[in-house]
Amino acid sequence: MKDNAPIIETHGLRRDFKEVRALDSLDLTITPGELFGLVGPDGAGKTTTLRLLAGLLDISDGSATVAGFDLKRQPEAIKHHVGYMAQIFSLYGELSVVENMRFFAKMYDVTDDEIGPRMERLLSFANLTEFKDRRGAQLSGGMQKKLALACTLIHEPEILLLDEPTTGVDPISRREFWGILTELHLGGTTIVVSTPYMDEADRCSRVGLMYDGRMIRCDTPRRLRAEIHGDVVVIRHEDWRSVRHAIEKTAGILQVQTYGEALHLVVDSAEKRIPQIEALLRREGLRGAEIHQAPARMEEAFISLIREREASVESTQEV
Amino acid sequence: MSLRRLWAVAVKEYNHIMRDPITLGLVILAPTVLLIVMAFAVTVNIQHVPIAVLDYDRSPTSRAFIQRMTAGDDLDLYAQVDEFEEVDSMLLRGKIKAAIVINPRFAEELLAMRSMPLLVIIDGTEPQSGALALDHIASRTEEFLSQKLAQNLEALGAPSDSLQMLDLRVRTWFNPGLKSKNDVVPGLISLVLGLPAMSVALTLAREREHGTLEQLIATPVGRSELILGKMLPYILVGLVNVVLIPTVAILVFRIPFHGNYLLFFLLSAIFLFAILGMGTIIGVFIRTQAAALALSFLVIFFPAFFLTGIFFPIAALPEVMRMESLVLPGTHFAIITRGIFLPGVGLDVLWPYAIMLFGLGVAFSAIAALFFRKKLG
Repeated sequence: MKDNAPIIETHGLRRDFKEVRALDSLDLTITPGELFGLVGPDGAGKTTTLRLLAGLLDISDGSATVAGFDLKRQPEAIKHHVGYMAQIFSLYGELSVVENMRFFAKMYDVTDDEIGPRMERLLSFANLTEFKDRRGAQLSGGMQKKLALACTLIHEPEILLLDEPTTGVDPISRREFWGILTELHLGGTTIVVSTPYMDEADRCSRVGLMYDGRMIRCDTPRRLRAEIHGDVVVIRHEDWRSVRHAIEKTAGILQVQTYGEALHLVVDSAEKRIPQIEALLRREGLRGAEIHQAPARMEEAFISLIREREASVESTQEV
Repeated sequence: MSLRRLWAVAVKEYNHIMRDPITLGLVILAPTVLLIVMAFAVTVNIQHVPIAVLDYDRSPTSRAFIQRMTAGDDLDLYAQVDEFEEVDSMLLRGKIKAAIVINPRFAEELLAMRSMPLLVIIDGTEPQSGALALDHIASRTEEFLSQKLAQNLEALGAPSDSLQMLDLRVRTWFNPGLKSKNDVVPGLISLVLGLPAMSVALTLAREREHGTLEQLIATPVGRSELILGKMLPYILVGLVNVVLIPTVAILVFRIPFHGNYLLFFLLSAIFLFAILGMGTIIGVFIRTQAAALALSFLVIFFPAFFLTGIFFPIAALPEVMRMESLVLPGTHFAIITRGIFLPGVGLDVLWPYAIMLFGLGVAFSAIAALFFRKKLG
């Protein structure tokens, strides 16, 4: 396979569950070595996409190739090349860490000579060496995720499909997990990861934004952030509730988000609106507010794109 | 098919059985407990059937006859009455299940070796215990008569070895009470040995419920490797019962074991293969453990109870059900256990049933593997 030939390619991929169209006309091209992020609200079709690519669901329509194999006709051949990690802990709770790893190694036909060294490497890679005899059910959430990743990596797959691998994991384990992913990414593994965390989306080389079964945007995080219409303004004030209340009805403010004691606004133009807001707060007697423009983050971009989408869906419905 | 993967699945499943107390109990303890409970329930009726005796003869011979009648555990003398009306009222009030009326010239006719009428009244409202009482009375009467006959013949100077033979033949032929226990318990053994089929029906549903199936089908594991790998440890653990249960039957219920134990062990393994195949089919189609449990009761246990000839003869079933009983592993295995326990027959007689069981096992596991789809949703 040439380096630039796509390792995952889908054309009009669709999956229906009874009444629900979980995924609709997905056209996706992923080249080897990409770290591709899937983001979107719950029920947007992220899990369905990953399960389809892993060969775990029947395709309703469309076609796809994964690692050079046709997804519809050769799903079993794909499984040797793909490491899939389910969203919930789906290893054997009554088996120990090493028993789980050995089991999956054998499922993937890893030779006996290879199993030992690979397990040792992955255990230290995932910081699980000292817990290797503990039962799966007795591991913490973060350790379970790392064990699941270790089991997914045991056959050294070219493609990793990870479904929200850091959901429900504490921040330290989350950082550690992304450290591992970055190393794999540097090692040339193609990774497709779904995540509800926007800071994680920022770490991907490309991000696909999913909404209601469709991929509505697919680009690098930088370009997606640039797509946001307007500027981001941050306001800090002790009495942020009153501030929020005061500015809510002001023209030109597209959205307001609260982050602790800070308010993140998306406005049509920072240059124009900052002086207006300052004047407004002075009138309301809310002094000492710290107001400045900030670079758009993935989260604002995401929310803005989703709102835009919702608005366009509503307007077409009205017509 | 990769044997290495099959074996890895089997080892994983074996670990699950051994580490989960509920599964272990269901596979190993439940069959023994169930056998004991059911066998007691079935055999307890046979004993202590209350009867009344109306003795018009009142001779030493008739008294000896009554004593013989109630000497064992099976018949209890509830009352010895003087009037026929008393028999009637006792039967009506359910105090007795049977009554014996001894005619006035009992001893006389017996000594003269003439035909001798003996009135036996049975409560037909409970056919089961009534029939048992009749069986007991008949066998005791035969016993008594043959003994009397022997005494008479001896008095006439007949050779004693011919008496022994006559005596022996009558005893084996008329022994219905004992026969039913010896017949039912081996039948029950064939039923309870199949219990691990329920656990195997649950394993696939459990993997679905716990989400482990999702990770499992993401691997290249073959369908037949998965199905056979899941069955194998249940066969091995189920064989523990094949040691345990005959021991209980022999020690607790005093069931004679006349056959070859090794043959019994081997054929039990084939039976387990067949019945576990049946359980696996349920696991393939049913998504939740609760539903799999309910269905395995309906599909494996109720038919095993009613259609395999343990309690009700297969010949008495309607034709459609006779066909169904043919595909139930228990039907063939009940014949095997009875054959090996009592007459002690060997493979020369049992081979068709062994082949049938093996065929069913292959068919069931093939169906399970064929219909199992490595897909979610």
